[in-house]
Order: sequence, then structure tokens, then C-alpha cells
Amino acid sequence: MSAQRVGFDRLLWTAGCLGLGLAPHIGAIPIWVIVTCAAAAAVRLGLAARGRDAPPQILRIVIACLAVALLFAQFHTFNGIKAGSSLLALMAGLKLLETRNNRDVCVIILIVYFLGLSALLGGESLWLLAYLVGVCWLTTATLLRLTVAQEGPDWRASLRYSGRIVLHAMPLALILWLFFPRLAEPMWRVGGGTTSATTGLSDSLSPGDITNLALSDDIAFRVRFNGAYPPVKERYWRGPVLYRFDGRTWNRSDANFPPAPALIPDGPAYRYTVSLEPYPHSWLYTLDWPTQTDLPNTHFSGDLVLLQSGPVSRPTEVSATSYTHGRFDKALSPALRNRDLQLPPRKNPRTVAFATQLHREHPQDADFVRSVLDLLHTQAYYYSLEPPPLGADSVDEFLFETKSGFCGHYASAFAVLMRAAGIPARVVTGYVGGIYNPYAHDWVVRQSDAHAWDEVWIEGSGWMRVDPTAAIDSARVDRRLRAAQDEIALANIEVGGNLPWLTDLRMRLDAMRQLWREAILHYDPDSQQSLLAHLRIPEPDPQKLVLVLAAGLTLCFAWLTWQVRRELRPRPTDALARAYARLCATLRERGLPRYAHEGAEDYAARVAIQRPDLAAAVVPLCRRYSELRYGNGHSRAEIGRFALAVRAFRPRDSRAS
Amino acid sequence: MSSLRYAAARILRAWAARRFGLDSLPHTINRRRIYILPSGYGLAFSAMIGAMMLAGLNYGSNLGLAFAFLMASIALIGMHHCHRNLLGLEVDATREADGFAGERATLQFVLRNASGIDRWDVEIRCPDFAAPGAADAATTSSATASVTAMSQQQLSVALATPRRGILQLSQFELRTRYPFGWFRAWSYVHAPLTVYVAPQPQGERPLTSGGGAAGTAANTDLPGDEDFAGLRAYAPGIPLKHMAWKVLARGSEAAVRSYSSLAAQPDWLDWHALADLGPEARLSQLCRWVLDADAAGRGYGLRLPGLQIEVGRGAAHRTQCMRALAQFTLEAPP
Repeated sequence: MSAQRVGFDRLLWTAGCLGLGLAPHIGAIPIWVIVTCAAAAAVRLGLAARGRDAPPQILRIVIACLAVALLFAQFHTFNGIKAGSSLLALMAGLKLLETRNNRDVCVIILIVYFLGLSALLGGESLWLLAYLVGVCWLTTATLLRLTVAQEGPDWRASLRYSGRIVLHAMPLALILWLFFPRLAEPMWRVGGGTTSATTGLSDSLSPGDITNLALSDDIAFRVRFNGAYPPVKERYWRGPVLYRFDGRTWNRSDANFPPAPALIPDGPAYRYTVSLEPYPHSWLYTLDWPTQTDLPNTHFSGDLVLLQSGPVSRPTEVSATSYTHGRFDKALSPALRNRDLQLPPRKNPRTVAFATQLHREHPQDADFVRSVLDLLHTQAYYYSLEPPPLGADSVDEFLFETKSGFCGHYASAFAVLMRAAGIPARVVTGYVGGIYNPYAHDWVVRQSDAHAWDEVWIEGSGWMRVDPTAAIDSARVDRRLRAAQDEIALANIEVGGNLPWLTDLRMRLDAMRQLWREAILHYDPDSQQSLLAHLRIPEPDPQKLVLVLAAGLTLCFAWLTWQVRRELRPRPTDALARAYARLCATLRERGLPRYAHEGAEDYAARVAIQRPDLAAAVVPLCRRYSELRYGNGHSRAEIGRFALAVRAFRPRDSRAS
Repeated sequence: MSSLRYAAARILRAWAARRFGLDSLPHTINRRRIYILPSGYGLAFSAMIGAMMLAGLNYGSNLGLAFAFLMASIALIGMHHCHRNLLGLEVDATREADGFAGERATLQFVLRNASGIDRWDVEIRCPDFAAPGAADAATTSSATASVTAMSQQQLSVALATPRRGILQLSQFELRTRYPFGWFRAWSYVHAPLTVYVAPQPQGERPLTSGGGAAGTAANTDLPGDEDFAGLRAYAPGIPLKHMAWKVLARGSEAAVRSYSSLAAQPDWLDWHALADLGPEARLSQLCRWVLDADAAGRGYGLRLPGLQIEVGRGAAHRTQCMRALAQFTLEAPP
């Protein structure tokens, strides 16, 4: 690195690298930061094109202070990925503005490298990594040009050279990546961490809450069954159970309740593993009804929801066992019964009156449930993505006026009807369904599968799952929803050879993405241990990991040293010279080295005298070499033929005496 | 800080000189003789990689870690390439050089690259001649060259020579920061190079022909240019224009025409003719005269206390005189 003044082309390349490094941040960092960087680059390049230096210092200081103050006003911190990246980008842009010599530009190069890293902290795609490795290559080539004191290799040679270095670095990086010990827990929590999950269920349900998920293609979680999997009608994935109702919104509390009746399972057991992506809640999704799990620091609530102590802050695998059938061992305690009968006073009066009346007509609880479902099926209730907005008495308005709603509306109204009739009921939210991916061998549950249903307490048998949405006549389902559901139905056809190619492609892509997630993104201390076990290393532990890392690095360095040795050997510059050198080497091995002063034909003559048996082969070869070397106009193909002839020349070792 | 670094470098140089002894030129740099350390920029770069790895580990971002490890690997390979840039390079130098006090003496080096790789930015550094009064020069002079594969490259280092005398360079340094400037690899070559630093040519005294000492050697048959005096045997170094081509054409021994100059008496440049000047001023004046006489193409001789250089001319003669002036020391005041 020298203090020589930086020329226009180097400045241009540096600005280009900065632009490429910033590109993945567009959308994540404030747009004015990017505009500032672009403006700084334009001004500096404009000045450089006119052969002028950086703008006056006072101006640069004012701009820098202003920009940093603005940034702080926006984020209130410089900690975290977004604020940190913005600050870095600003620094690089302003540094570009004040660049005078190569030393300044080298600082920008460091920032470009770091911007690459911060883009990867937020992102997770293979393409982003590949793109940033490309940026790293260009940046390294630029750095090479910046740091040579003399003219050095030209741009093309610099790109080739740094490309080779990046390629050679890859095996080394792979070994480091595989065996460098990972942290089980982060060292410190940083603002704006990875739990930036935007979609998903929350712990409350208001009219219209789930509709925003209905068209989301994001994956909620994936499930792998060990052995049998339940039929499509029983694939309900249990999330939070909501029991407190204020007339419009359902929610839950962390209050303690007396022990709830326990499930006595019946029918087949399903064992499976749910892979969850981080979300800011403490419940874990399981198949309805879960009975046990091997995940530490978790417990089942009285409502049969699997809870862990804190939010799901990192990717989690839940192995659990569930039964889709069963009964409950005892009656509801009065406290729980009261909890699940609670209705806000003076809210939804028409619904309460209607339920009371209907219950009088159907005094049996099971009959009553059936009659309500009949009602939903036969009356003009519509299932819609865009139901009309509802007021304070949301259930009254929905049941008797708008008659159009999404699963949340139906689950809410159904629970209110049940409670008004004196039947304990609660709302369960979660997901329903899932599509089998034959390539990833697992089930994909998407956000669009989010659902809400009810559970009612029937004396004698216990909790019973009722899905009022399923009662809607399919003719009254919103067209868009039906299309989405058709697709699900299509994909749910048991895997055969008749999947449409588009779905098939989607499955393959999804499977690859899943493999990427499992093998790369979720590579963790456990994966490292199982990798060591695969390498047949007894009793794998973190210390062995370090040993394997050291061994791998040593191997890599041995390879590099060998590579350097090979490159340091004298190398004839063109194909013809290489072929001739090969011929000379072959003869040298037979004890006939060529003297430095000897031309090809003299050499051949001497060889012919010393080894008459070789004359027939060597003399024409050497003459051919002279022709090709000193004659005019020979083609590449002729040289190639000569090289092949040299290759074919393998004299016997024994001397003809 | 820089003085600390300088002291460390001096200790390392002395240690290397003791360990490896004298090198014969041309010298090929082997693996054991190359030292390598990160540069300031390299330290900044490694700090950045450390920050990258911390961030990747802390966020549990495997892609971020992969990128950080890629950068670390690139740095390690850069280190290899920096080392490689000197490995197997052959260096040769002219053993002796001449210069004037207060100017720069040029040392000629040749870098030969017999390998299949290009060597960029190889710097040769030599310690400067110490200023008057200082025991050791703290500055160095250097020159940088690039040698492509299978080729050689000349480079000359212009050494600062602030005072008259003989500079014995016991070693010089080859250094490179290529590629990327993250590392600095260097190697010491221990070969004696001698720089004769002649006095600064100064003085206004006119050169009086005969130099005040029309001595015995003044009428030697100095080959002048004016009058043909006969034929002499050819000796290497005599200008071709004096060649007696006709004699050669007759098949005889090569001969040159000899002339005698009537006007030009050989000059004697005499230390004793400048008795009124101080010793260094005298040497400077003598140096001036040598240069003037040489430029004019006249024959001249040099007389110093305890030393007499016979009359002659040409580059070799001038060099002999200059070196005599460079290493002259007064035993006792005249």
C-alpha cells in the first residue's frame, strides 16, 4: 500500500465494488444512505475525471456530521445489522469523497468486504452467497491493483489472479466452516436479531386476523413423520388455545389453573419431528393432541399446548408423539369450567338469545353442536377472504347480518354460541393440512394453512374438536380461496407419477431449499458432532473438533506448498516449447541431455550417433521442431500434432550396444 | 515506535548475518531465509476478519461465517503468495560502485526469475551512507522492480552518500508486499558491496599545465592526437579510429597509429600545489581537476601524499584516481 495518488480507473473500480457491495442492502438500509453514497461517488469521480482532488475538508466534515446525526435520529443506535450496515455504508461513501491516495481506497475496500458479511447476516439464500463471493473476487482484484507499487498486472491479469486465489481459498474455507467450533448460545444479544419473523399466528384472535396469512406462501414449519402419518382430515397442528373473550377478541393468559383433565389416548400413535423457524412466541406447534416430547425445558399446558420457557429464538426441532383420538380422564374442575363458559356481559345479546333458544330445542349437547353446524351449512353463510368489517358486537353482526367471514369468524361465533348454551368451549388456533414433498420426504405447512377451530366439552367423553368452517357449503367459498384449496387438494393426492410438472418442479425446488436449510443454514454444534461421528472419530467432543480442524488445515497447507513448488518450476512459455522440453526431458532420462548450446538438429545428430536405434524417431522430431519454430506460418493444429508425436515417443531404456 | 522497529530489524539482520555467513553472488533466495510478518494494513484486515467471525458466530449465521472464513482463507493464501514472491528468486549485484559526496551512488542489481510465475513489486533496500558524525545511517534507499516469468530485470538503487569515503555494505534486503499489501516478506543477502564515494568536485583554481611539478614523468610518450609519431602494437582499449587498418589488411599484427602531442603536456594534479587549502577542499579541487581533465581528454596523473598515480587517461584511469581520492586519509598533517 502506497501513498501514491489514486487514478481515475482505480477510483472507478472502487466505487463499482462499493456499489456492488451495497446492492444487497437496498431495501434494508434507508434509501437516503444509498443516495448519499451514489452522490459521493459521482462527485468524486467527476472531480477525478477533471484531474482534481477531493472537495474541501470543511465541506466533507459538515456532510459527515450531518449524515451521522441523521442516521442516529433514525435508528437511535448504531448497534444491530441495519443501523450498523447503514453506518458502514455512509462511512464508505464519505471516505470515497475524501479519497486522495491508495491508502484511503484500501479502507473502503475493507468496508466493502464487511458490507458483504452484514448482508449475509440478514440473508440466507445460496444466490446471495454466490453473488457476494463474486463481489469479493472483484474487490480483491481491485485491491491487488491498488496495492502494487509499480504498474503491476493489468486488470485482466488481476482478475485472473484474484480469481485463482478465491478458488484456492475455497477448500480452506470449507474446512474452517465445517470444523470451526460453533457457539451453542450467542455471546450477547444484539438489537434486531434474527427473530424478525413477520408473519405467523399471534396469541390473540380478532375478526380478520388470519385472513392476512391466507395468501402467504411462506413456510410455517415442516414435519417429518416417523412411520405412519394421519389422514388429511386429522392433520390439525395445535397452536395457542384462546379462552378469554371480550366480545370481539379472543386471547389467553399466563394465569395458573387447577389441573386439567388428562388425555387417555386411543388409536394409532404418530411420531414426528416438527422443524420450526424462529418466531417471537413460546408455544411449539404439535399435531393435535400431543402427549409427549423429548425437547428439554418444555411442558404441556393444561390446554395441551407445548410451551417452552422463552420465545423460539432459533431454529428448533420438536420431536413429539400425538394421538388423534382419545378421551379425558375426569370432569372439568369448576374453575376451568367457569373459565371456558365466560362471556362478556351485555355483548352480542342476539347470539346469546339465539343460542339459549336453540338449546331449548336441542337439549342434548351433542345434538346442539350438530344443529349449529347444520345451520352453518344450510344458511347462506359465506367463506370469504375479504369479509365486511365488524363492530363492537362482532358475533351478532357476523351471524345475523354480514354472514360472511373467515375461519376466525366462524370459530369465534361457534364458541360464543356454545358458551351461551352452557357448553364449555374454547378457540384453538394453529394450522391445518400440509403438503407432502416427495423429494424432501417431509410435509410442508405454509402460513396459508393457518386456521382456527373450536373444542367443546361434552360430558362423558371430554373435549371434542369441532371445525365450524368445514361445515360451510363448498359452493359458498370465495373463488380465490377455492383455487388455493384446489391446489392443496391437488398436491394432497397421494404421491404418484401424475403430478403436474409445475407442481413437481416446485416440490423439487422446495426440497433443495430444505436441504440447504438443514445442511447449511442450520449447521450447528450437534451437526458438527454427527459429522465427526461420520468420520469415524470415537467419542466426538469439541476438542476433537479442533484437532480435526488443525489436521485439515495442515493438509490444505501441504497442498498449497506443493502447488507453489509446482508453480516455481521453470515453465516453457508456449505449447511448442513445452513439447520440445518434454522431448529433451525424455532423452535426458535416457542419459542423453541436450547441451545448452546445442540446436535441435545438432542435438538430433548427436543422439543419432550415440543411440542409432533412436535416430529414426528423434531426427524427424527435431527437424519438425525446427520447422515449426523457425519456419513461417504454422497452425495451432500442427503444433498439437507435434506435441502428440512427442508424447508418443517412449524409447526403451536399454542401451543398444 | 519506528526506532523500536529499526532496532528490532538491526538485531534480526545481525542474527541472520551470524547464522548464514557470507553469500556468494549471484544468490538464490531459499525458503529458510525469508521472513514474513503482517503489515499495518494486514493487521487491520485481520481485525476485520475477527469482527466478521464474531458477528457470524454471535448471530449464528452460517453463511456469514462461510464468508468470514473465505476472507480468512484468502488472507492465508495471500501470505503464501507473498512468501512465494521472493522464493527462488536469484539476485546479483555489481560488487563495486562509485559516487560523489553529497550526491547518490548507483548500485546495480539484477533479479533473475527462472520460474513460471511473475514476481511483482520486488524491492531492494540498502542502508544509506551515514551522514558526517553519525555512526549508522537510519535511512535506506530502495528501488522496486517486477520480473515476469522466465526473465530478468535490472534495477539500480541510488544510495545517499553524504560524505566522502568508502562505504562497505555488508548486506542488502529484498522485500515485497505483493499481493494485497497484507504481508511483508523480506530476506537479507549478505554480500560485501563497496561504494567509493569521491569528494564533491569543487574549487575554482585553474589547472596549471604541469601542475607545478614538471616532474620526470612529464615527457613520457603519452599518446597525443596531433602529430603522427609511428606505429605501436594494438592493445585493448585504444580507440578504433587510431587503428592502422592498412597494416592489418597486409596481414600483419594489429597496430595503431601513434601520435605525439606537442602542445599538451600531461597534467600533474598535485596535492602539494594546493597547500593553502584545507584537506577536504584540496581533495575536492583535485576531484574537479580530474573530471575536467578527463572531460577534455587530456592525460593526467595524480599525486597525493604517499601515493602517485602515473599519467594516463580513459575511464579506468579516472576511476582509479577517483577511488584514490575517495579512500585518501591523511596520516599526519603536511
